[in-house]
Amino acid sequence: MDQILEQARSIYEGEIDFQGQRLAELLQNLLLSISGVIAFLVGFTTQNIIHSLYIGLGGTALTFLIVVPPWPWYNQKAEAFLPPKKHKAASTDRRDLKGIDVQGLKLG
Amino acid sequence: MHSTLTRVQNVFGFFTSVACAVAAVIALSVVLSPQTPSASLALKNVQVVKGRPHYYSTKKEEYAHVRFDLDTDLTSLFNWNTKQIFMYITATYPSSSPSTIPPSEVVVWDAIIPSDYAPFHPNTYIHPTSKSMTKIKKNPKSKKTAKAYPHGKSPGIVKLNDQKPKYQVTDISGKIASRSNATLSLHWNVQPWVGALVWTNRKPYGRWQGLKGGLDKFAFPALKSSETIKKEDLRTETGGERNRGSPA
Repeated sequence: MDQILEQARSIYEGEIDFQGQRLAELLQNLLLSISGVIAFLVGFTTQNIIHSLYIGLGGTALTFLIVVPPWPWYNQKAEAFLPPKKHKAASTDRRDLKGIDVQGLKLG
Repeated sequence: MHSTLTRVQNVFGFFTSVACAVAAVIALSVVLSPQTPSASLALKNVQVVKGRPHYYSTKKEEYAHVRFDLDTDLTSLFNWNTKQIFMYITATYPSSSPSTIPPSEVVVWDAIIPSDYAPFHPNTYIHPTSKSMTKIKKNPKSKKTAKAYPHGKSPGIVKLNDQKPKYQVTDISGKIASRSNATLSLHWNVQPWVGALVWTNRKPYGRWQGLKGGLDKFAFPALKSSETIKKEDLRTETGGERNRGSPA
């Protein structure tokens, strides 16, 4: 039961990794800007604003389709979690933090 | 961008920015399309009679009934961002004391001329057909195919002969007879799909030429007794707006 709930949560939230987030934002900006430019140019050359409207809306729909679902190409470089602590869970022992990188400084 | 919901919000947010930017560019692009509007407007007949503003009124006022000929070529006002133009003809006449009171401007006739791409609307103007075309008029299906311009022409062409007014002219004082220095003039509003509403320009702006013609000077005649004029001659035209509230 918990596993099914976990799967449902994962589908609903659709989490992607950090590199995937960068890629998604880049694709969003590129696709929407390009579809806006194409919409204007096609409408202007055919002198029909309805072409602009539908190309703009179509480009937006395509962007939604490409950016919103957690496609596999957004989960290529998953960041691994730290290994679980072996001793007491609530320990504040500095030895547990050895080797951890905090803004370029190694702890320990 | 880590979850589906934030991605939906981000894409939609950026879409609104792009849509706004494209709309702004479209609105500005109309200055590139050249405009050369021209019109010839001539008074056909004007009669002044006494009448009542409504059936139970005890006050009698003078009403002027203006008939006119109009031949316009406003096709260049229809660029890719024009939804429709609202055309109207006004009668302007000076006040009793022109130094203190500005002249009065009264609308005599108006029409909504939609672009060919605009969806059908029952209020839009239907151009009168020539006599050879009356067969089409009788066809009940022709209501939706009826156009705001003559058969075979394009939007912006209006050719009217001896056109009845839509509205009679009366003054706030109730006296309109024998006033001189009146002018009949054509005006328009260009209503775009996106952008600014543009009024008549008689002066050129960049690639937009000013309106050529569309003016006629006249004087209101003396009052005629209503017995000497047939009632049929004083009828007014009813526009498509009479369909308001009834099924289209």
